[in-house]
Parts: sequence; structure tokens; C-alpha cells
Amino acid sequence: MPRSQLVMLASFFALALVFPLVAPYEALASEILIFALFAMSYDLVLGYGGMLSFGHAAFFGIGAYSTGIILIRVVPSVPVALLGAVCVSSLAAAFVGYASIRRHGIYFTMVTLAFAQMFYFIAFKWTSLTGGDDGLQGVPRPNIGPTDIHPEINLYYFILALVIVSMFIIVRVVHSPLGTALQALRENRNRAMSVGYNVDRFRLVAFVISGCFAGLAGGLYALLLNMVPLGSLHWTTSGEVVVMNIIGGMATLFGPVIGAVSIILLRDIISNYTDAWSLFMGLIFMMAVFGFRDGIVGFFRNKIIPRANKILGQAFPRKH
Amino acid sequence: MNLQFVLMQLFNGLILGSLYVLLALGLSIIFGMLGIINFAHGAFFMLGAYAAYTITSYVIPNFWLALISVPVLMAIFGAFCEMLLFRRLYDLPPLYIMLLTFGLMLVLQDAVRLLFGSMGVPFGTPKSLTGMINLGFMYYPSYRIFLIAVTSLTAAAVWLFLTRTRLGCIIRAGTDNPRMLQALGINISKTMTLVVGMGTGLAGLAGVLAAPIQNVRPLMGMDLLVDCFVVVVIGGMGSLGGSVVGGLIVGQIIAIGVMVWPPMANTLIYLFMAAFLLIRPRGLFGREAFHE
Amino acid sequence: MERKCHAILMACSLLITFFLLVVTPAVAEPLKISVLTDMSGPYAGITAANVEAAKMAIADFGGKVLGEPIEFIYRDHMCKPDVANQKAKELYEKEQVDVIFDCPNSAAGLAVANQAKIHKKPFIAIGSGTTRLSGPDCNRYTFKWAYNDYMLATAVGLWAAENLGKKWYTITADYAWGHDLLHHFSEALKAKGGTLLGNEMVALGTSDFSPYILKAMNANPEVLVLLNAGKDAVNSTKQAMEFGLKKKVKIVHALLFIEDIKASGDIFADDYVTGAWYWKSDNPGSKEFVEKWKKQFNKPPNWMNAATYSAVTQYLQAVERAKTKDALPVIKALEGHEFRDLLANPGKIRAEDHMEIGNAYILKAKNPSEIKEDWDFFEIVGVIPPDKAYQDPKETGCKMDTTE
Repeated sequence: MPRSQLVMLASFFALALVFPLVAPYEALASEILIFALFAMSYDLVLGYGGMLSFGHAAFFGIGAYSTGIILIRVVPSVPVALLGAVCVSSLAAAFVGYASIRRHGIYFTMVTLAFAQMFYFIAFKWTSLTGGDDGLQGVPRPNIGPTDIHPEINLYYFILALVIVSMFIIVRVVHSPLGTALQALRENRNRAMSVGYNVDRFRLVAFVISGCFAGLAGGLYALLLNMVPLGSLHWTTSGEVVVMNIIGGMATLFGPVIGAVSIILLRDIISNYTDAWSLFMGLIFMMAVFGFRDGIVGFFRNKIIPRANKILGQAFPRKH
Repeated sequence: MNLQFVLMQLFNGLILGSLYVLLALGLSIIFGMLGIINFAHGAFFMLGAYAAYTITSYVIPNFWLALISVPVLMAIFGAFCEMLLFRRLYDLPPLYIMLLTFGLMLVLQDAVRLLFGSMGVPFGTPKSLTGMINLGFMYYPSYRIFLIAVTSLTAAAVWLFLTRTRLGCIIRAGTDNPRMLQALGINISKTMTLVVGMGTGLAGLAGVLAAPIQNVRPLMGMDLLVDCFVVVVIGGMGSLGGSVVGGLIVGQIIAIGVMVWPPMANTLIYLFMAAFLLIRPRGLFGREAFHE
Repeated sequence: MERKCHAILMACSLLITFFLLVVTPAVAEPLKISVLTDMSGPYAGITAANVEAAKMAIADFGGKVLGEPIEFIYRDHMCKPDVANQKAKELYEKEQVDVIFDCPNSAAGLAVANQAKIHKKPFIAIGSGTTRLSGPDCNRYTFKWAYNDYMLATAVGLWAAENLGKKWYTITADYAWGHDLLHHFSEALKAKGGTLLGNEMVALGTSDFSPYILKAMNANPEVLVLLNAGKDAVNSTKQAMEFGLKKKVKIVHALLFIEDIKASGDIFADDYVTGAWYWKSDNPGSKEFVEKWKKQFNKPPNWMNAATYSAVTQYLQAVERAKTKDALPVIKALEGHEFRDLLANPGKIRAEDHMEIGNAYILKAKNPSEIKEDWDFFEIVGVIPPDKAYQDPKETGCKMDTTE
């Protein structure tokens, strides 16, 4: 695991510790953390695996519904509910992944979309379990051990702890042999195959890991909202996480995090000033495509840092 | 369930299919040439309906004029989009143009909402096409018959254009291998402009045709967009015949679903698509290694 | 003697604590009112103006309550329940508002009602129509104003069964809202001895209603009931017209606003719908409100706007009666209160389920030839009294927890 990624993780942690103080409101800070995790988990699939999945809302939503249903019906225990969410969404990811992983390019995208739409319609129709269009209302927030997570700030730090641990694991995965193999597959499928990699298996494992963390993010979302909105399964949620990845910078891990932070923050702030927030978000996406071709992270890495280095280099010439 | 109802329902499926065919044709030729999923396609469709509304209520209250002028106007609009926006991104992975079209979709939808309001605008059936026609076995609204006729004519015209003209030939070659085309000394950027313009014009035409039977409102394209992805995928990406067949199939699936199991009529197409792709990974007429 | 001393001391300290805790903040901090509504989503055309209605209500109240100026803030929930939920937290926690109004979309309304309960601050739901808010999901801090799905269905149902015909066919949007409406419609029909010839459930996202309309035509009903709203209402009516069904049967809708009619031309002509109010109403204060609104926005208000005006005004009056802005005293002042205002004449806020009830009006959409004044799209053809238009509070399933 390279030092730069550890530094990123540490600085993210440091910033996140004080973030609730500066965020517009505490609950928004939690939402941003959750989507940061969701976006980062998606980077495994899109950035590292090179698979454009358009069905990740399914795992996010399934995680959220599992958490909600366990908390309401089975046992009011957060660890159990979140563990359940992770298991169920990993299973769902294994199922969807198994069925779609052999499709490539646009067909892969469409098969994942089809599965996600099916989950959406199932949740929509199965009113007795999911609440249908009204959403799953009244998800409780039971204490975790002695900690009361009713106050938003407590919940925030609980979410932060889980998000940091998950991010650490994701970073480890990317720098494990699996991550390296994935990148090799993305760059040149045929060469990787001829070296002897089992392409489909690697892709499937990455897909499941990604689905697992998406499910965890979904579970935290249910806790945060005290409910599960049906929209968490909608294809626009998948679209949103794709956009977060592209805007932030794919295959950088922390790029998607920055993408998530900026999109959610911007939308919240803009919508307080104008009802045309969606117009502005659209314009921002379009400008981002032209402005930050490799995402925000890429922009800094390719444009700002080299330029800064150049200027610094001129200012402080190295002694031979 | 009597026979007449079944027949009528199959006809309804044909109507729905016709709109899908027009939209999917545009989506498919753009995909073939640029390799992108055009998220703005639904917004182009919506824009077509609003353009028809603007023309019929502010310029000349004549549906026929709108029917002819809107596709042309939309084609010009699409060509401009290509020249001003898409063109700058061809050297990047297709994902970036996708994000661009996604942003464009949001911008167009919200701009129309701000201009015309979120409630939509009124649009009636043209006077000469109101009423019913006796088809022998049933009465059917004349406007819908007209819709089927226009769609068939358009699909035939597009097919003739692509197979019988030099330009069409270039476009077909371009969908196969744009680089090769460039190597042969053909101005690919003009072809791209033409293709995007054509696709957008087709979406605009679908918009005009849908306006009398649907609620003209800013988000009207959003609902159809994902269905159209399904059509294109079932037909096979980049295949024009596939779009036509796929559109008709999806229209019929929905129509039959409504008769058999109404609550799931809209889910059926996704089930069908997933199952279909498991059997035929590239849809009906999709070619191997095409934008994969 | 000693005991008496202790008692006095205790009482004094309790009083001081009470004064410090309750009375002081109420005097020191101004009352803050908020509207959380859809300003950019599909309902924006109806509900965005509720912000203006609330502003107008505050201004007409004098801009002050308990001697302090009233603060006002609004938020857009984009018609998304998750956003509504988060914004409700922002309003209650960060902005420290004393009350939230409106919140269209059932899921969003239910989510905000839950936040109101958690934060122990009032929420007066206007836009969301689900009966769950004043039924199984009711709570001490949530009120439901001006209408709900039961009233929408029952009022026009009872009236239509009596005046339009006994043979009905329904086309229903296949989700919680539609099912709820269908249930209440068929109850109303049963009560009047009518028959439901058939029902069609229409899946979400359907744009082609022709198969359902064909089935309805074959059944040959007297009344066709379209249990849908917004684009579905427009699509289904357009297509009913196309198939010539409109000439044969009367059409009844679940929800229509003047803006719907403005936006879709004459397709709704001669159809029927329930409304909580109409801008030609002669309730006390109604004419003045409409005049002022027209001057400001060049169009009359819809009944959602009027309901917001009414709710804000009644809330402010309750604050005056309670002499504090604290949640529980204000809630107590609202509970069981009877009043007459522009919206409800007479109106009552039921203590049992926190439902504000008034007359329900049966509106008939005018033919284009009858419309003499712009926006005068409806005529009031019937009035259903509150006790018939709303469910008996014993049957709503609401168990109000009064201990909180």
C-alpha cells in the first residue's frame, strides 16, 4: 500500500473529523460520507475494473432495505442490521455479477441496468415488505452498546468510523494482487488472459466487493434517514454515482470521494438559492467534462501540481 | 378477453412500438458512430414536442407545418450540439461524452421547465385526424393509424438513405470502423455531424408525433429513455434493423403484458432483456467486438 | 411549618425553572416559520407558490406575533423523500424553526412527520395526501390540513353515485396512493348502492392507456373514474377523448388543479373532481386573499395555496392563544379548535387524529364556451359537509399518544 494513499486516507480522516463544524448541517455531512463510501466502492468496478455498471443503485438500495427491515422486524441492533445489509447486498452482487460479468462494454451496462430495474420494481410492488412508493418508514436508531446515536453528531462519528475502516479495506484491495490484476485486465484483456489470469473471476470478485461496500453505504443511509426511500433503488441513483466517479476522477479512489463531496454539497447549496438547481448541476457537469478531463483529482495531478513544481523549481533551483 | 380486444391491443403495441422505433433509430445510429449512450436523446424528444407546441400556438396553428419543420429544426440543433460540444471530446473515452449528454439532458429539461412551467402545455390532435376509422374488424383512432404510417415511411426512408446513397454508405462504414474511414480520406467530422443531426431529427419527429397522445411536459423523455435503451440492446447495438425489430418487440411485450399481467407490464421488458442477453449476448443483430 | 416552607421553596424554584426554560426563550427568540415544498420537481407548478402563500399569511398577520417579528425560511425538497427528510433536520436543528408547513409527496410527508416527532416540533402537512398521516402514522406533533385521500375519493364518490350514475369503471394508478383511493371510492359507491363494473390497475410509468380505456368502453359504464394525477391524468384523459369515450360517459378525477386545466387545454371539460376550496368561494376573507394574490401573480391561487395561507394563519393564532411558541402549548391550542376562515367555513382541527376538516367541494370543469374569465375553470356543483367527507376519527387507526 503506497504511502500517498495512506496520506490521503489520513488527511481525509482529519478533514472529516472537523467537517460537521463547517458543513451546512450535520445530517448533510453524514450523507456526504455515505455517498463518498458508495462512490469509492464503485471506483473498484468502473475505475479499476473498467466495467461501467449501471445497476449499483440495486446494491445500495438492497443494503438500505435490509438494514431497515432487520431493524424494524427482526432485531433492533445496528451491528446485526449492517452485517445483514452487507451480506444480502454481497449476495445480490454475486448474483447480478455472475449473470452479467461475461457481457462486455455496453451490454454489461445494460444487463446490470436491467437487474437494477427489476429490483426497483420488486421493491415497488412488494408493499407489505418495503412500503412501496411510501418508502420504508420508521427505521429506528437503537443504541450501539452504550452510545446513543440519535443525535446527528454521534451518528456522524459512528458513520465516519465505519467509512474509514471500509476505505482502508478498499485501498488495500486496490493495492493487493487482485487490484493489480484488475488493472491489467482493464488495460489489455487479451494479454492478461494469455498470461493466465482468469478474467471473469477477477471481475466478479471486484464486483462483489464493490457491491458489499455499496450495501454498507446503503445500510448507513437507512440509519441516517430513519427511512428507506424507494428512490434509493432508482436508476438515477446509479447515474449519480457514475457522475461522481467521472467528475472526481476514475481509478484514483479519492477522486470519487471528492466527486461525491462536491456534487452533494453543490446541490444542497444551489437548491437553497434557486429552483433551477438542476440546470446549474447540468451546466457544471458539462463544464467539468471540458475543464477537468481526468476529473478533479486528475486536474490537480496533471495541471496544477506539475505547474506548481515548475514554478517552485524555478524559484528554488536545485543545486547540483 | 375477446378477439377484438386482443387485436386492438396488438395494434396499440404497434403504436407504442412505432415511437420506440423512431427514438431507437436515432439512438442507435448515434451509438454506432460515436460509441456513446446519448442520455440527451429523451430530452431531444421532449424538445421536439415543445417545438411543435411553440410553432402551432405562436407561429402558425398548423400541425402539418410543425410535423415537417420540427425534425429539420431539431436536426440543425443536434448538428450544432455535435459541432460545439461532442466534437471536442472524441479523443477521450466515450464515458466523457456520456457525462456531457447527461448534463445536457438536465440543462434542457430544466430550461424547458423554467420557460414553460412544470405542468406541461396543451396539445390537441390535429382537426383532420380526430375521430375513428373503421378497420373492418374494429374502430380505431385515425391519428394512431397516421402515426403508424409516418413511422413506417420514416423507417423506410432512413433505410433507403443508408443503403442506397453514397452518404449512407459512408455512415454505415463509419459505424463499422471510423478510423478506417478517415484513413480512406473521408471527412469523418462532417459525417459525425450529419449522424448526430439525423438522430436528433428523428427524436424530434417522435416528439411531434407523441405530442397529441401524451402529456407534453419537461420530463416526458425521461420515462421513455430507459425503455429505449432496452429496445436498442435487444435489437443489437448499432444495428438499424435491430432498432426497428427491437422497438416492435418491446411495444408488443408491453401490450401483451398489459393483457396478461398488467401490474408487471413495464417490468417484463427488463426481464425479457436480461433473459435475452443471456441467450444472445449481443442482442438480435449486434456484431461481435463492436464498441466493447 | 417546615414542610410548608419546603413546599413554597419547591414551588418557587419550579416556577423559576419553568420561567427560565420555557418562557424566557419564547420571549427572547422570534418565532421562525418554515415551508418545505416541491419547487423544482413534478409538483412544483402547484406547490412552489405555497411559499408565497405563507409569506402573505405572515404579512397579513402583521408580521409579528407575541410582540416579536416573525422569521420565515423555505426549502426545496425536489419531490424526493430523502431530501425532504434531510432538509427537515436542517430546518429543525440548524435553522431552529418552530414549525414546518406543507411537504407534498406521501413518502416525504411521512418522513417529515417522523422527524417532527423526533424533534418534538410541529409539522403541518398540507401537500401530502396520505391518510397514514392522520391514521396509523399519526403523532402528537403532526397535523394534516385541508384534505386527504379519503376526502378526495369519498366526497366526489358520494356525489357522483347520487348524481352521475350507479355503474362505474375505475382506472387506478398501481401504487399505494391509487390503491388507497380505489378503496375509498368503492366504499362510497357501495354506500350509495352502486356497482363497480371493473377496475384496471395501471403500472407505473405507463404512457399508453388505450388498452384500459378499451376495456372500460366494453363494460359500458355510466361513470369512468380515473384514479391518477399529473401526467397520468392528462395522458389517460387525452386518450379517453381520442377513443371517443368522453362522449359516452362522465369522467371523475382524483385530483385536479386549475393549473392542470390551464396546462392541458380543454381535455378536462365537463369532468368532476373534489376540491378543498375554489377561488370563487365566498368564505370570509377569501375574496380579499384572491384579489391580493391576483394583483401579485396575475393569476388566482389554487386550493393548495389557500390551504397554506389558512394553516399558517391558524398556527399563528394558536401561538397567540397559547402565549408562547413552544410546541406543546401551541399544539394544545390547535387541538379541537374551531374556526371560520377563507378555506374552511366552518373548520375544525380534530383532537383525535389532528385532521383539519372543512367542507369538500365538488368541482365541475367548465366547457371552453362557458369560461368567461381567464382561470375560471370550475363551477362548484356540490358541497359535502365535513362529517361525510372525512372518516370518523375512531376508524382512522390513529392512536394519538397524548403523554408526550
